[in-house]
Amino acid sequence: MSVRVNIHPRLYQFTGDQAVAEVSGNTVGQCLDDLVRQFPEIKKGLFGKDGKLLNYVDIYVNLESSYPEELSKPIREGDELHITLLIGGG
Amino acid sequence: MIGMLTGDELERYDRQIIVRGFGKEGQERLKRTRVFIAGAGGLGSPIATYLAAAGVGMIRLADHDRVELSNLNRQVLHWDDDIGRSKVDSATEKLKKLNPEVKVEAIGEMITEANVSRLAAGFDLIVDAMDNLPTRYLLNRTALEMDIPFFHGAVYGFEGRVMTVIPGETACLGCVYRGAIPEEKFPVVGVTPAVIGCIQATEVIKYIVGIGQLLTNRLLVYDGLNMKFTEFRVKKDPNCEHCGKIVRGKG
Repeated sequence: MSVRVNIHPRLYQFTGDQAVAEVSGNTVGQCLDDLVRQFPEIKKGLFGKDGKLLNYVDIYVNLESSYPEELSKPIREGDELHITLLIGGG
Repeated sequence: MIGMLTGDELERYDRQIIVRGFGKEGQERLKRTRVFIAGAGGLGSPIATYLAAAGVGMIRLADHDRVELSNLNRQVLHWDDDIGRSKVDSATEKLKKLNPEVKVEAIGEMITEANVSRLAAGFDLIVDAMDNLPTRYLLNRTALEMDIPFFHGAVYGFEGRVMTVIPGETACLGCVYRGAIPEEKFPVVGVTPAVIGCIQATEVIKYIVGIGQLLTNRLLVYDGLNMKFTEFRVKKDPNCEHCGKIVRGKG
């Protein structure tokens, strides 16, 4: 199963400037695990030491928020993920 | 009569009055509207500039900071000679020169829980031009409680985001953002708040005039590095800590 993941620009440092990745998984969590398998350094940009998503990371599935299911949200073939990071500057 | 346009105003605003759906009536609505802009920095500069140019009747601008050299790459209402001045005084001087028809009130206070209701009282709209998330949450809650539309914007580097909140009707900041962000000196290229601030000002003008589709229940994310706009659909969260219990008109 192929799922397209759009990576937030602030995480490009962990992907060698790659903006999009193809991953597989049946849930958001599995897709992110596959992303981490491809780019191990990105783990610290997504997850805390407790293994939970950092609270300023939001995952959108087909342009809709995965909240509140987040990591357990089911994913289907052809879905598209966006990893976004909260920003606060002005 | 309040809101009636003078001959000079008809000439000044001629090019927007002739926009379809705008008209003299839209311009008179702008003239009658009081806008509270929270922040006179990177976002506040384009927001205040374009709302003043458009002929909003009154702008209250709140910011407690003084102009620093490191502000000048993006805070275009402040110039080299303004370093050390209060930002709101610097901004007010420019805005009054840009459009003497607009009343501009400078409030050199930090926005806090203690004063935010007073600062927003009597205003029709609140525009988010802050540089930190906690004050944004405070403004969002205040807008909901006072039933005042809220126009959110934020920037980081080449990235920005915008969303419009109509209390009791649409998703609010609390429905979309649940986290906090680490405190840091955020990077920003001046063109980013220019893009985002202009979109916020566009939303404000559309709301006042009553034309177009607002960015409600939609979070618009701008990625200047890849030059992409992405629109995420967002929903009002019935369990939102900010707006979960609020119904339109009963804020």
